[in-house]
Amino acid sequence: MPAPYTPKENHLLAALPAADYKRLLPKLEHLPLILGQVLYESGGEQEYVYFPTDSIVSLLYVMQNGSSAEIAVVGNEGLIGIALFMGGETTPSRAVVQSAGHAYRCRNSVLIREFERGGPLQRLLLHYTLALIAQMSQTAACNRHHTVEQQLCRWLLLSLDRLPSNELTMTQELIANMLGVRREGVTEAAGHLQAAGLIQYSRGRITVLDRAKLEARVCECYAVVKRESDRLLSGKTPIVEMIS
Amino acid sequence: MNENLQTPLLAPSVVSPSLQSDRAGARQAAHAESTGNSLLGAVPRKEYQRLLTLLEPVTLTFGEVLFEPGDAIRHVYFPGVSLVSLLTLVDNHLALEVGLVGREGMVGIPLALGVGVSSIRALVQGAGVAMRMKSAQFLKELGQSLPLQRAVHRYTHALMAQIAQTAACNRFHVVEERLARWLLMTRDRVQSNDFPMTQEFLSHMLGVRRVGVTKAAGELQKRKLIEYSRGNISIIDQHGLEDAACSCYRAVRTLSA
Repeated sequence: MPAPYTPKENHLLAALPAADYKRLLPKLEHLPLILGQVLYESGGEQEYVYFPTDSIVSLLYVMQNGSSAEIAVVGNEGLIGIALFMGGETTPSRAVVQSAGHAYRCRNSVLIREFERGGPLQRLLLHYTLALIAQMSQTAACNRHHTVEQQLCRWLLLSLDRLPSNELTMTQELIANMLGVRREGVTEAAGHLQAAGLIQYSRGRITVLDRAKLEARVCECYAVVKRESDRLLSGKTPIVEMIS
Repeated sequence: MNENLQTPLLAPSVVSPSLQSDRAGARQAAHAESTGNSLLGAVPRKEYQRLLTLLEPVTLTFGEVLFEPGDAIRHVYFPGVSLVSLLTLVDNHLALEVGLVGREGMVGIPLALGVGVSSIRALVQGAGVAMRMKSAQFLKELGQSLPLQRAVHRYTHALMAQIAQTAACNRFHVVEERLARWLLMTRDRVQSNDFPMTQEFLSHMLGVRRVGVTKAAGELQKRKLIEYSRGNISIIDQHGLEDAACSCYRAVRTLSA
């Protein structure tokens, strides 16, 4: 009988060659993540890196006055804790569980050692870093140029891509924190989407009813992030070949 | 007077000696002098000497595009006094600066992360000298040198912090605060209080309309924090400008120090 859960639910871990995977496996610890749990505080020191499986973690930039805005979402395609192997001692953002579920974690020191071997694991993590940079850059532009409703669509679609179902457990307040807008703005945007039959919202639960229409309404930022992420993490990106 | 700002002044920025001397960067200063780039300066001397033989000095001109989105990265650039903006394009025309690279960094980070194609536009916004290296050569060096890898990765981390902060800043802060921040970040990198700048350029950087830039710049000038004329901006009250900037300026400066 197959195990009820496996690290291979995380795409980065699944993409590791057998030898690297085997070396890492005994160091990985499976754990539940609960909604709203803070994995890292911004400026804090970290002990672990996390590989989400069926959870989603939001990276938030926290302003001096305490207000925050989401700069990226991380699900089963990625990991939380890039700062560590990139040589930053502390994380520049706060990592908050945005959708409850599970993750695997391992100690920093383990991952840094693996990273510095310079093999396939390093290559994968660097590709993921680039995908994350693309997501962050697009979010910056999206924050500047697009409406709350478009951003809400983007946020819903990015979340859906990282979840097994079309349901999200989510309060409007949490969404407002993620998008860095006032709650009224979220209520209004969500109201429009509901009236148009795209989503259903009740008791802290959002169900996406019509994904195609959501995709039709979203700003280009969603497609840009998804394309870049798929391209980089497909394992097919030719590296040196691209340089003529 | 607004018309003046539309004309780019192509003269390279002048490095002010007084600003240079208050730069710390002590451990790097020793051999960064010859390239002016502190990322390269962080590599141990012996390896640095090797890299030097593979680097070629180039003069970057104001408004020059090093890469467009989708372009192959043929060279990586290490700015000296020059300054390069990383712009994300939205809806194919609206631009927004997400990162600013000067002597502390490198242009062409995707290559170091394993991808030879740029997803952003890299636009020279401060003319001056940079060192560049052919991409294939750079990859080879990177593969062989752990110190170079570490320096590049550390810089990548600082750049990510800058992008993250820009995303949040765009959300919360008004044009005037963002303009003040942007001018200070530029100053820190070109190490001069005077640099060429047009309003059109600023409007792309900040992702706002020209009138918004005109109004914000006018306000900063009225408060005697800056002076602009003939496509040039001078910072006349650095501390005042720091107070006028949003908290993001100090936050990112701390991170990249």
